[in-house]
Amino acid sequence: MGYAAFEAATGEAASALAIKILIAGGFGVGKTTMVGAISEIRPLHTEELLSDRGIGVDDTSGVESKTTTTVALDFGRITIRDGLWLYLFGTPGQDRFWFMWDELSVGALGAVVLADTRRLQDCFPAVDYFEQRGIPFVVAVNCFDGAKRHEPEKVRRALGLGTATPVLLTDVRDRASVKEVLTTLVTYAVEGVVTV
Amino acid sequence: MTSEDPGPLIRLFGLTGGRARPQGEAFDLVAIVTTIGMPFEPAELIPEHLAVLTLCRRPTPVADVAVHLKLPLNITRVILGDLRRDGFVAIDRPKPAAQTIDERIYREVLHGLRSL
Repeated sequence: MGYAAFEAATGEAASALAIKILIAGGFGVGKTTMVGAISEIRPLHTEELLSDRGIGVDDTSGVESKTTTTVALDFGRITIRDGLWLYLFGTPGQDRFWFMWDELSVGALGAVVLADTRRLQDCFPAVDYFEQRGIPFVVAVNCFDGAKRHEPEKVRRALGLGTATPVLLTDVRDRASVKEVLTTLVTYAVEGVVTV
Repeated sequence: MTSEDPGPLIRLFGLTGGRARPQGEAFDLVAIVTTIGMPFEPAELIPEHLAVLTLCRRPTPVADVAVHLKLPLNITRVILGDLRRDGFVAIDRPKPAAQTIDERIYREVLHGLRSL
């Protein structure tokens, strides 16, 4: 391996950038549908194998600690240009996979918390998680067929969000709607980082 | 778990020699992988390793390598860790998005999203 070749390769890699966005929310709220509405690849559903080491990090009950288990992870991709990608990762819904959130959220630009007004409490853990870690997030209220449409301000109050956090109504099946959520998140996340 | 077919699990762990964690320093799911060398006898590599080295001639995020290999992310990472140890790939240490995104990239991302 030549040293010069190594330098050239890493220089090229440094100019490539993959930006990570998390899609969080309770089970069945539409995370995978949202990723699918905008991803250029079919959302990839992988069963991640977890060693007992991984499980043991957050689980002190010991119940799971000797098992190798799997966690479903979905992600999609949007290519902005050659060498610049957005990756959307749907976070695992189950609480026992918090350690996986920690890994997913490292370096993430921000997160979308998907909320279902019929069970708003399902997104409380995600809101708490991102607030505690200072990860910028927007709340997108998925307007399911037949679900009562709530005013964003009511959702904001119910979730105890500050006025700065964007709250939007969305239809996760609709590409234009998902685009709006993502552009809102990107704009919100970079405010204060770059002058826009 | 016991009622499930363990076949796929065993096959995947076979690819990694039973390891669930990659060698060396941890790297992110969207870290950029770049091929920096090839063995003298590429034909002797296992197909997955050869596929990675071919794909990553162009810098490629870890997640995309997994897509290409059709393998779970953490199995992919074990494979990448091995290739890094052997000096065939470089895996960048990704900086937080907030530190890497400047106004130009922000504009590109917004424009790219809007034109989807």
